Amino acid sequence: MNIKFEKNTFEKRIKSMLAVDFRRMFTSPLFYLMVGISLVIPILILVMTTMMDGSVSVNPQTGEETIMEGFKNVWQIIGSISGDSSTMSMDITSMCNINMMFFLIAVFVCIFVSDDFRSGYSKNLFTVRANKTDYIISKSIVGFIAGASMLIAFFIGAMLGGAFSGLTFALESVTIGNIVMSMLSKIFLVSIFSSIYLLASVIAKQRLWMSLLISFGIGMLFFTMIPIITPLNAGIMNVILCLVGGGLFAFGIGVGSYFILKKTNIL
Amino acid sequence: MNAIEIKNLTKNYGEKQALSGLTMTVPMGSIYGFIGENGSGKSTTEKIICGLLHPTSGQVKLYDKDYTDIDIRASIGVLIESPGCYPNYSVWNNIMLQATNLHLDNKEDEVRKVLKLVRMEGAASNKFKNCSLGMKQRIGIAMALLGNPKLLVLDEPINGLDADGMRIMREILTDITKDQKCTILISSHILGELEKIATHYGIIRGGKMIVEMTADELDKSCPTFIALKSKNMTKTKELLSKKYSKVLEDEQKEYLRVYDAQKAEDVVKYLYDNQIIVTEIKTDKIGLEEYYINLMNNKEVK
Repeated sequence: MNIKFEKNTFEKRIKSMLAVDFRRMFTSPLFYLMVGISLVIPILILVMTTMMDGSVSVNPQTGEETIMEGFKNVWQIIGSISGDSSTMSMDITSMCNINMMFFLIAVFVCIFVSDDFRSGYSKNLFTVRANKTDYIISKSIVGFIAGASMLIAFFIGAMLGGAFSGLTFALESVTIGNIVMSMLSKIFLVSIFSSIYLLASVIAKQRLWMSLLISFGIGMLFFTMIPIITPLNAGIMNVILCLVGGGLFAFGIGVGSYFILKKTNIL
Repeated sequence: MNAIEIKNLTKNYGEKQALSGLTMTVPMGSIYGFIGENGSGKSTTEKIICGLLHPTSGQVKLYDKDYTDIDIRASIGVLIESPGCYPNYSVWNNIMLQATNLHLDNKEDEVRKVLKLVRMEGAASNKFKNCSLGMKQRIGIAMALLGNPKLLVLDEPINGLDADGMRIMREILTDITKDQKCTILISSHILGELEKIATHYGIIRGGKMIVEMTADELDKSCPTFIALKSKNMTKTKELLSKKYSKVLEDEQKEYLRVYDAQKAEDVVKYLYDNQIIVTEIKTDKIGLEEYYINLMNNKEVK
C-alpha cells in the first residue's frame, strides 16, 4: 500500500511558523511587559533627571562638589548629534538614552526563544520541521518587530516624559526629518542585534542564563556603534547604511544560527 | 513499504554509547510496541526518528525516504517524555498553537475534535501548569493526534493515565490504525496494556535490538500451561513431576504450572486418583510481561 504525503512547501512552513510566533508574542505577557517598560523608562529618566538637574553633591572625603546635569532637551534621550563630545562620553545623558533599549531587546529575544526549549515545545516544532530555515527567519522577524515596538514605545515615552518634566522640545541644530531618520536607523539596526541574540539563544537553547550572558557580551561590542551610526542628525545615508548593513548582517548571522540549529541536538 | 526502517544506528553521548548498531523495522499500519529497560535506548531512538537528536552513524528511513524528508516529517505526531507545552498557556491555547504549527485549515474544529477524543473538553480553559499528570498526558496525546498524522511516536504515553484514560487511549490507537493510514511506535513499561494493542514488538537491550516479532509470533512463542492450586502444594508438585516433565511454580508461588499436559481433566483425574483435591484449575499462557522478564533474565523462551 502506498501512502501520499502532502507537499510541505516553504510558503506553508514559513506561514505556519510566523503564525505560531506571532500568536505567542501577542498572547504572552512578556511582550507587553517589555513594551510597557520601554514606555515607562524614558518618563522616569526625564522626570528624575530634571528634578535633580543643578543639584550639588559633595564628596564627604575630599569635599569636592559635583553639579548634577540632566537633559537640556527632550531629543537628547533619543540621541546625540554626531561630532558632539557627548557621543562617546559616559555621563548620564549619554548612557540613559534610547540606545540602552538594545539590551532590553536581548532580554525579550532570549526569553522568547529559550521558552521554546525550556517548555519542550521545540519537540513539537522540530519534529514537523525537518528544515530549520523557517524557524530562524520567523524568530528574526519576531525579534525585529518586538525590538522596533520597544524603540517606538521608548520614543512615545520620551515625548510623554518631556511633557511631564517640562523639558524643551525645541529643535536646535536638527530637524524633524533628522529625528525620523535617526529613529528609522535605530529600528533597522535592531535586525543586527536581534539576530545576534537569536544566535546566542540557539547556541544556549534551554539555558536562558547562557543566552543572556552571550547576548550581553556580544551586544556590548556592538553597542558603541549605535550612537555613531544613528545620531540625532541622521540623514538618508544613515538609514540606507542601517537598512542594508542590518539586512546583510542579519542574513549572515541567521545563516550561522541555522547551521548551529541544524548541526546540534535539539534536546 | 515499512513506516520506519533503521539500520545499524549508533548514537554516542561523549564516551557513553546509547545505541550500538540498532536495526529495526516498523511495518506500515502497525502498532509497534517498543520495549526495553530504562536507559536501553528507546527514547534516544525515538528522538532520532523525530529529528531531535543526530545519530552518530547508521541509516534511518521513514516510508522509504531519509528521515530528514520535509514532507514526511510534517506528518509525524509526537509525544516524547512529556508533552511540549507552554506552562502558562491554557490547554486550548497550547493545542491551538500546535494546530497553527501544523498549518491546519479548520484549527478550532480540529482542536475541539482532539479535545473531545481525549475527554478534555471541560478543561480547555485550564492553565497547562495546573493540570494533573494524567491530564497533561491526555493533552500530549491530543496534540500528537492533531492533523491525522501518518506516524505517531509515543514515548510512555500511558504513564499517569487512570484506568479510563488507558481504555480511551487503547480505543483511539486501535481505531486510527484500522485503515492502515497511521503507524504507531509506542514505548511503554506497562506491558499488560501494550499487549492489548500492539501488533508488533521490538525488544531493545543495551542499545541493540534483541528480538523483533509480530503479536502472532509472540503468541506462538508463549507456551500454554495448566495452572492449579491444591491444599498440599508440595505433594502435588512431587506427584505431577512424576508424570509430567515440566512442572513449575509461578512467580508468586501461588499456582503450580503444568506445561506439557493436554487436558485439565487429565491432571485433575490423576491427582484425584492420588488423593489430592484440586481447589482451583485454569488453562493459561505466559504473557508479554513474563516473556519479556524471561528474556531479560535469559531464561528459556520458546
